[in-house]
Amino acid sequence: MKKTKYIPSGGLAFTEEKDMKILAQYAKKGWMVERFTNFGYKLVVGEPKNIDYSLDYQKGADEEYFLFFEEAGWSHVCSIGDEIHLFCATAGTKPIYTDTPTTIEKYEREKKQMGKSALPLLISTIVFLFLSNIDWGFELAGVVMWILGTLSLVLLIFPGLPYLGYQYKLMKLKKGSLH
Amino acid sequence: MARTDSLEMGELTDTAYYILLSLVEARHGYLIMKNIESITNNRFSVGPASMYTTIKKLLSANLIRIYDDSDQKKKTYIATEKGIELLEKEVQRRREMVIHAEKVLKQRGEIEG
Repeated sequence: MKKTKYIPSGGLAFTEEKDMKILAQYAKKGWMVERFTNFGYKLVVGEPKNIDYSLDYQKGADEEYFLFFEEAGWSHVCSIGDEIHLFCATAGTKPIYTDTPTTIEKYEREKKQMGKSALPLLISTIVFLFLSNIDWGFELAGVVMWILGTLSLVLLIFPGLPYLGYQYKLMKLKKGSLH
Repeated sequence: MARTDSLEMGELTDTAYYILLSLVEARHGYLIMKNIESITNNRFSVGPASMYTTIKKLLSANLIRIYDDSDQKKKTYIATEKGIELLEKEVQRRREMVIHAEKVLKQRGEIEG
């Protein structure tokens, strides 16, 4: 019997809650998350457990951060860099975020990160596509600018779409709270 | 982040209110959580992510300070003078809010009664 399984994610900016539910269902059948992969999660065979998963964004998370989670019953499963962290706890453990203001901050932080990567690409897309429309006197220059512009646009999608995803999530959160 | 930051408006969120209240005495993370649950009879609790975020915020606003960091993992914090002052102001603000509501609800009771 195969001992590992790869589960795709729709992208954390879009399907975080759904992903967490799916992972919990797998855990019930004995498939535990081992680590993040580029496009989802790697699961390994283990003992079936009734657990919840939760995700947090925290750049520069230190020992104290992980201790807070541990003491509240949330064990650290895996991380991407020092920024995205996955935790699990016995089903029914109190959630890691207990109020709207700090939940909003969670997504504000990640939106800002995405914005930092998206902005230079947005600028280069606009600049190169603009330059490709200028008459350079020789055709090749325009073609090169167009290629660079299109390339920037393609790269822009990777931070750009999550940025919009977080923006949408924040809009819903703020609408739901009366702050 | 400035947007609706209640700290910058000189107000405390419920979470910040209870954390600050727990730090009138020096405590570390887990004891802050436990203290909040005990003084509110489990009506209010703070999750670890909300706790970490709020403590960082209170620290940068100088409302609390590190009391002892000899154990990097288990730092203890305590409210500063500025923190206590804001807490007192906040208690007053919340007391007034309750009085406003009681007045209005009492009037409603008199009309209906």
